[in-house]
Amino acid sequence: MSIITRSLFKSYGNLVAVNGIDLDIRGGKVFGFLGPNGAGKSTTIKLLTTLIPPTSGTIQILGLDAIKNPLDVRKRIGVVLQQPSYEPNLSVEKSLEKYGMMWDVDRKTRKDRTDELIDVFELQEIRKKKNEDLSIGQRRRVQVAREFIHDMDLLFLDEPTVGLDPGARRNLLDFLKNKARDGLTIFYTTHVLTEAEYLCDEIAVINKGKILAVDSPEHLKSTFGQEKTIKIHLLDRIEKLPNLLSSIAGCKIDFNAGTDIIIQSSKAEIILSQVLSILIENNIPIEDLSAMPTTLEEIFLKMVKEKNASNN
Amino acid sequence: MHPIIRLLNRNLTISLNPGFLVWQVIFPIVYIFVAGFAYTALISSVKFGDISLDYPAFIASGMIGFNIMNSTLVSGIIIWNDRRHGMFEQILVGPFKRSHYILSNVYTIAIVGLISATLITAIGYPLFFKSVHFNLLTIPFLVFASITGSILFGSIASIISTRLKSSEGFNVIINTVFLFFAFVSTAFYPAQGAPQPLATGFYLNPLTYLVDIIRAGIFGTFNEFVMFEMFVLVTVASILFGIAIKLLTKLNL
Repeated sequence: MSIITRSLFKSYGNLVAVNGIDLDIRGGKVFGFLGPNGAGKSTTIKLLTTLIPPTSGTIQILGLDAIKNPLDVRKRIGVVLQQPSYEPNLSVEKSLEKYGMMWDVDRKTRKDRTDELIDVFELQEIRKKKNEDLSIGQRRRVQVAREFIHDMDLLFLDEPTVGLDPGARRNLLDFLKNKARDGLTIFYTTHVLTEAEYLCDEIAVINKGKILAVDSPEHLKSTFGQEKTIKIHLLDRIEKLPNLLSSIAGCKIDFNAGTDIIIQSSKAEIILSQVLSILIENNIPIEDLSAMPTTLEEIFLKMVKEKNASNN
Repeated sequence: MHPIIRLLNRNLTISLNPGFLVWQVIFPIVYIFVAGFAYTALISSVKFGDISLDYPAFIASGMIGFNIMNSTLVSGIIIWNDRRHGMFEQILVGPFKRSHYILSNVYTIAIVGLISATLITAIGYPLFFKSVHFNLLTIPFLVFASITGSILFGSIASIISTRLKSSEGFNVIINTVFLFFAFVSTAFYPAQGAPQPLATGFYLNPLTYLVDIIRAGIFGTFNEFVMFEMFVLVTVASILFGIAIKLLTKLNL
């Protein structure tokens, strides 16, 4: 296991930021950590990266007690924090090189890695530009690239794709996938759930400092997202449509603008055949029909909403 | 390489950029050569201890202390810049202890102070070489003043860096501190002959003690009052250094 926490707790006065978290994260995997703003994601990262001590609980990182041996832990991890970090008056190339020096990477290796990272992260055009002259997205790319100048066994990424354009985002995700394939463990927080779905082997959902669920994206979807959404677009607006479909039970049917029928049900296929029969019997022409499986985003929103409702 | 050396290397790289060095040289040169000679018409000589100095020699020696203050205030704000640009947290999640970070900043400030003092001594030397009374104490006095002054002003900048959160507030405070230290001191003019409240103000300013010690080293005017000034300077520097270290150690993340 790369990360093990037990009853991890962090409070600031009366405010409980992390409330008894237990994590078991396997090595060589990408672990997604999802949650709304203020859920406790960044505090958890700060605890795991030894930046702040916990109020109580235990943290084991790469087999080391992170509370007793924080420096030994930090020597083996990489961290890209949520907030930007850069040396404003250094060029992109120089800041990568200097960061390597700070990590005690030898001169030849850091020169080779600087060239490689500039290539991989497509920084060629800005390699001589000073960090202070870069756009937010460019600066973020440099910040993420910089972390790969040194060796590590575990990488923490706190919303690394904020500010990146779609191309750069996909490029980074593929790069991370390859790194994980090579054995790097990645702890990844994001708000973009399609990213988590694309990248992560396992996902934890956190809300108000507590873990709501931990599982693979597929399992989360099958457990929490059995409902499907079917959308039927009609050629014309049919006033009597709600009356015609009122006999169908076991589903939620919406009529947007009178020309759309949106069905949400865990038995969507059965409901669909019933709806189609009624439409055909009444000679109502269909223009388009589509079925959408539940996305991770819907599951996430549902879980958080249900948890908040149960707390209230 | 030791972590402190690595951080020191990084600090010096970001501190000693060409712009900073040019500023460090040009700023005092303007004072030495423009103000120094322009005021000669008004101030023919300045009494310092038992000797009499021409004004260019007086201001050139004062500029050494001024430059130590100026450069270390600037390098002392590394902490401010690191906090503002996210490097403080980034370094602390790296292979460093907080004590490494603090000590690397102390060494950076001391080195920058020494470099500044050396630069201005070299530039100002043609103006005060006639009055130089080189003796065994000259170099130790200059090194003592450079290091103690650097620690003192670097600590002030560090304290300000840890206490303030907004850029506007930081700029206002640092500029006010700079103005007071620079101009309510004996760096530019002697305390003798100044109105009493102003002369008192001069001696509430550590830069006055710093330039007095530097001048005592250069012009060989070592006496009991200079000893007292050295004691005050070390005491104030130690107190401020202690406060700065405490604040840095407790700085929240």
